[in-house]
Amino acid sequence: MKIKKAVVTAAGRNQRGLPLQTLVDRDRVQKTALRIIVEEALNAGMEEVCIVIHPGDHDAYATAAGEHARRLRFVEQTAPRGYGHAVLCAREFIGNDPFLHLVGDHLYLSRDEQGKPCARQLVEIAEAEQCAVSAVQPTRETMLTNYGTVGGKRVPVKPLLYNIESVLEKPTPTEAEQSLIVPGLRAGYYLCFFGIHVLTPAVMEILERQARGDAPNVHLSPALAEMAGGERYLAYEMKGRRYDIGVQYGLLVAQLALALDGPDRAEVLAQLVELLATGRDL
Amino acid sequence: MSELTNIITSADPAVRDQSLDAFCRRATLAELLVECAALDAFRRDSDNLYERVRALFFLYAIHRFHLLTKPGMKSSGLVPFAGYEHLLQRRFEEAISSFLGAQQEQGPNETVSSALAEAYHSLGFQTLADQVRRSVRTVRGNQWMFRMGHPSDQPLRVRPELLGRGASSGGGSDKTGFPILRERTPVRMDLSHSAWSDIFFLGMDFPEGARVLNVSIDLAVRGRDAEPRPPVESYFRVIDEPVLRLTSVDLGATAEITELRDVFDFAKDYLGLLKAAIIASGILPPGIEGSGQSLTDLLTRLVGPGLGIEVVSNVNDIPKGSRLAVSTNLLACLISVCMRATGQAKSLTGQLQESERRLVAGRAILGEWLAGSGGGWQDSGGVWPGMKLIQGVLAGEGDPEFGVSRGRLLPSHKILDDLDAPPAVREQLCDSLILVHGGMAQNVGPILEMVTEKYLLRSEAEWQGRKEAMRVLDDIVAALRGGGKPREAVHRIGETTTRNFFGPIQTIIPWASNFYTETLIERARAAFGADFWGFWMLGGMSGGGMGFIVAPEIKRQAQDQLQEIMLTTKNELQHALPFAMDPVVYDFGINPRGSFANVLTLDEALMPMGYYALHLPQWLRMEQRTLSPMRRAELQRFGAACRTRPELGGMNKVLFDRLLPQIKRDTARGGRATLEELLDRFGFDRAQHEQIRADLKSGRIGLAQNRMPASTTIEDVQRDDIVDATNEQSLAAHRQRGIEAIKAGEIGVVSLAAGAGSRWTQGAGVVKALNPFARFGGKHRTFLEVHFAKSRRISRQHGVVIPHVVTTSYLTHEPIEDYLASRDQGAAANSGVATFLSQGRSVGLRMIPMARDLRFAWEEMPQQLLDEQAQKVRESLHAALIGWARQAGEGGDYTDNLPMQCLHPVGHWFEVPNMLRNGLLAKMLHDFPNLKYLMLHNVDTLGANLDPAMVGLNMSLGACLTFEVITRHVHDRGGGLARVDGHVRLVEGLAMPREEAEFSLSYYNSMTTWIDVRQLLDVFGLTRDDLANEAAVTAAIRKVSSRIPTYITLKDVKKRWGHGQEDVFPVAQFEKLWSDMTWLPEVSSRFVVVPRMRGQQLKDAAQLDGWLRDGSAAYVEKLCDWE
Repeated sequence: MKIKKAVVTAAGRNQRGLPLQTLVDRDRVQKTALRIIVEEALNAGMEEVCIVIHPGDHDAYATAAGEHARRLRFVEQTAPRGYGHAVLCAREFIGNDPFLHLVGDHLYLSRDEQGKPCARQLVEIAEAEQCAVSAVQPTRETMLTNYGTVGGKRVPVKPLLYNIESVLEKPTPTEAEQSLIVPGLRAGYYLCFFGIHVLTPAVMEILERQARGDAPNVHLSPALAEMAGGERYLAYEMKGRRYDIGVQYGLLVAQLALALDGPDRAEVLAQLVELLATGRDL
Repeated sequence: MSELTNIITSADPAVRDQSLDAFCRRATLAELLVECAALDAFRRDSDNLYERVRALFFLYAIHRFHLLTKPGMKSSGLVPFAGYEHLLQRRFEEAISSFLGAQQEQGPNETVSSALAEAYHSLGFQTLADQVRRSVRTVRGNQWMFRMGHPSDQPLRVRPELLGRGASSGGGSDKTGFPILRERTPVRMDLSHSAWSDIFFLGMDFPEGARVLNVSIDLAVRGRDAEPRPPVESYFRVIDEPVLRLTSVDLGATAEITELRDVFDFAKDYLGLLKAAIIASGILPPGIEGSGQSLTDLLTRLVGPGLGIEVVSNVNDIPKGSRLAVSTNLLACLISVCMRATGQAKSLTGQLQESERRLVAGRAILGEWLAGSGGGWQDSGGVWPGMKLIQGVLAGEGDPEFGVSRGRLLPSHKILDDLDAPPAVREQLCDSLILVHGGMAQNVGPILEMVTEKYLLRSEAEWQGRKEAMRVLDDIVAALRGGGKPREAVHRIGETTTRNFFGPIQTIIPWASNFYTETLIERARAAFGADFWGFWMLGGMSGGGMGFIVAPEIKRQAQDQLQEIMLTTKNELQHALPFAMDPVVYDFGINPRGSFANVLTLDEALMPMGYYALHLPQWLRMEQRTLSPMRRAELQRFGAACRTRPELGGMNKVLFDRLLPQIKRDTARGGRATLEELLDRFGFDRAQHEQIRADLKSGRIGLAQNRMPASTTIEDVQRDDIVDATNEQSLAAHRQRGIEAIKAGEIGVVSLAAGAGSRWTQGAGVVKALNPFARFGGKHRTFLEVHFAKSRRISRQHGVVIPHVVTTSYLTHEPIEDYLASRDQGAAANSGVATFLSQGRSVGLRMIPMARDLRFAWEEMPQQLLDEQAQKVRESLHAALIGWARQAGEGGDYTDNLPMQCLHPVGHWFEVPNMLRNGLLAKMLHDFPNLKYLMLHNVDTLGANLDPAMVGLNMSLGACLTFEVITRHVHDRGGGLARVDGHVRLVEGLAMPREEAEFSLSYYNSMTTWIDVRQLLDVFGLTRDDLANEAAVTAAIRKVSSRIPTYITLKDVKKRWGHGQEDVFPVAQFEKLWSDMTWLPEVSSRFVVVPRMRGQQLKDAAQLDGWLRDGSAAYVEKLCDWE
């Protein structure tokens, strides 16, 4: 299995503007969030990237992608029918190939010892295991309502891999405790999606079936749950951190994380200390 | 390996289920002591929880019941105070070590064994309670709530449907408020009476035997409600103020909570159940307690800034004690509505899914534990629909209980389908079964402890009883299938439940039945003849919720008749048994849906009617413009509904009554007049009362002032200070002299029956002497009957008439007089005993206690610490009661209760002087001119009798007063026989200068006193002839009385309200005590040590079972001759 295509969803009503925000990347270069995400995909060996956008956003996104614009394909999600539907919009683009999927409102920072970017780590695992893999991060139960969450068991002798048995979208901790406990994780922690997946075309079939149903919205998590029942589907505990730029102060935290991970770490820290020292409470 | 540890650890049921009693009967003292040592070592080492617990209960039983029957066991010893303190503080391991040390030092003796028994017993229950608590916390779905510590941790959000105000969401315009989520839940009845197999401990150790048939039912009170409906409901809505507003419509209580700590303060008001639900549903998770965080911040996370939550509970006026698990199902209903509202259930409305019901049940157990109450695991059965078989489940891998207990905390529920219980049989059952509430409300806590204990000990008869109860359940399950004959099926069910009640239930716990219940069954059987198909006991104990099964064609008429029978019987027994209310007959129907929810929007978005009766008067008193827009809109909505909805037709009157001040003729004014009347009638001494009040308020008297000066020396008595009468042989010499005195008519009996037996019924104001407390000679007998039966036996043996006085007080006189009158008519064969009534002439008016005294009692005196959560609830209750005392006015008259509950007897010192003052002694001396001695005893000293040897011994001692004392057991608190600064005296516990002083005393006062009439008259400075001179007698009594100390005591008094609700208040009263006669130098006193069974007192109904099992009941029976 070779993965060459990536799908980035950025059509959500409240997240349309996020990929257009500008940040200073670890290499001190000012980039839009979109460009950082696209570079994450390209660095993972992707040859084509499809961005699912809201109708009319094409030009702004093309500009934001800068030099990578020519390698992008834009697909419009014409009706707001949910996250799963947005992924489904890229069906034609991916054809019968497995694909890398990233969300447009997250930025990722790798903690891999060899400095492998997050998407690359995942693609390598998926290619090695020859199956769909979702990146996950142990997350405290209080944050569960923000993420899709998986339940399952560790794959023997592969410490960061889990066999996914169930997937629930934004579960309550009560639900999580009843069906998503993963042996070996700290009490109160669950495997929540990191925002990067390598998926097989099977998920598109499931999404299409859902889209034909009566429900107004199509969600990704139930489709992934169904996929877990039909084929081998793994979770990979990513060596890295994700930053949701869609939440309050999310962009600020992501920027700080990027800056503290680069050569300007000392300078940013000094400015933070100064801010703290002149804070109102003092 | 010891034989007993082998029984405990054996995998073979035939060995494991062996009875302890059988082994102990044949073992010697030395063998038992060796087994005790082995069991103690075993329980310290064993990893298995239930093996440890069983070893603890074995140790308890050996020390409590078996060692003392073995030759060579000493009767007297001393309990080390340090060990006792450990016991009170629930440091059981330390207490056991201390007591074992004392046993080693003093040699095995009854006193230390009683302390060891208590410590092992408590540690056994503590271990079980800890395990249940751990299991409750580890139920999947409950764990996360204990890890929340900050508002930003709160992952729950109120569902958007409940936040939508706009017309699009169905909520009306922006100003009309939020939709209301309403949950309605049936209650449950237990068709099988499970022989209490739904106790958690039992289900977790013996899941195979833990089975119940549980039916969800709707209820109506016959004659009041139109048709049965789910009896409990709860409401949830978002409000436009950042507060948590809780209202219990049924208890008439409401609070707006703004501080987090108030949510965890369960006993502060009547909203404990709602608070427990808010916590157990995760809205304010238990982990956040004590975090110091802000409630507003938490509400902001849950519902958004500026908003709050309102939760309302409503019970369809079902009286407390119905044995239908009303409160657990209400808790489950509240938890369910809160869970739905916060997205913890898939559907906002309709039925719950099976996994959700299980979660609600688990949370309800958590809630009950939090609020310090308790129930069985079947109690939240109302959440499920229809009829279901609930059974214990073996713990499997993956269960939190696996490897700890055999069974799981939560049982499984199998809903019966039409094959298991065809519709025709269900219908027939509804047509035949009459559900009632008999009116008694009793604490079933001690019964549940007894069941657990007997199960763990595998006592022979009880274990057979349990097996039989399991067969009963099988029979009922089989009968329910109907076999195409519904009528026969229900008839068979009736026979089976009756067999259950008279068989296994009473074999396991004889106290599950009572005189009232059995009289009802007898009368129902007589009234309905062949159409009476059976009796069915619901829940913990009978007298409250019960069922009668009759032929369907007479059901309507039988309901009316039963109402009549119950009311008549209750009226006959109201002084003898604790009734909380008049009996009630229900109509009921099987609920096919279980817990069910709806969203009420627009004009339907109204709370229950009682909610408005509670809140509206306050809203109307406020300026309209100060009401929030939401509340104004609600007022309009409610106004419109009142005009159009017929069920709200009665609202006008309710509101009118609430808004306008009214004179409560029946209660307040009438009651006060009656209290005044009563005080006059009973000879209330107002001058003395005011003096006591002034002394109390100024701090001259009080609990702390009851004590003797700290410099007083209290020592144990010496050998010469007592006469040992425990040895049959030494007594034999006195027997002949005693017989002669009895035959000569020199001896009489005085039974003290003026008290209400506060501990017996927790302050219910019942006449203890008339309480039919146990079965003797095949019938339930009262305390008084037992005392007469003992006199009758002596009379028959010696062919003389025994004068027998019963002293009474304002509280007990009329009921006892009526009782004696009816008895005399009924039993002409009552020859041999001449009964006299000595009417009390003294009464006190209870006072609101001083906060100082409440603090002294609760904070200075050693208190039994409760289990962690229960202790928290108790402390909160104490704070509330201290607040009550301050608010109501410390030292003020206590008048806010039934008049009789406001009065108090003034201590038993007055009872003998009363006989002088009311002319009774003079009359007796006239009727029995040879009368020289009186044996005075407490009504609860059942073993005291006119044993000729004791009579002779007393005569030979020649003292004015001879007191019978017994060796002390750990629970015998309240003073004892001591050398006080070198003089032998009886010291009341109240007067002990130091707590520990009591623990150096070997003997406890049984209160049984032999009085030499002539010498007593001398003490009062009177002669036989003076007794006719009332003025001289009164002056003499006053003179002696002034030298007897006055103690201030706190007594619990019940106030009943609503539908069987009860509150207990501590009130202050004063008393003078008989044993203080030993302090008068002119009174010659002697002290005789008698066998424990003769001198022990039955103070608490929880003692009954031990009393029956340790042979005390048989001892008493032997002394009696029944009519």
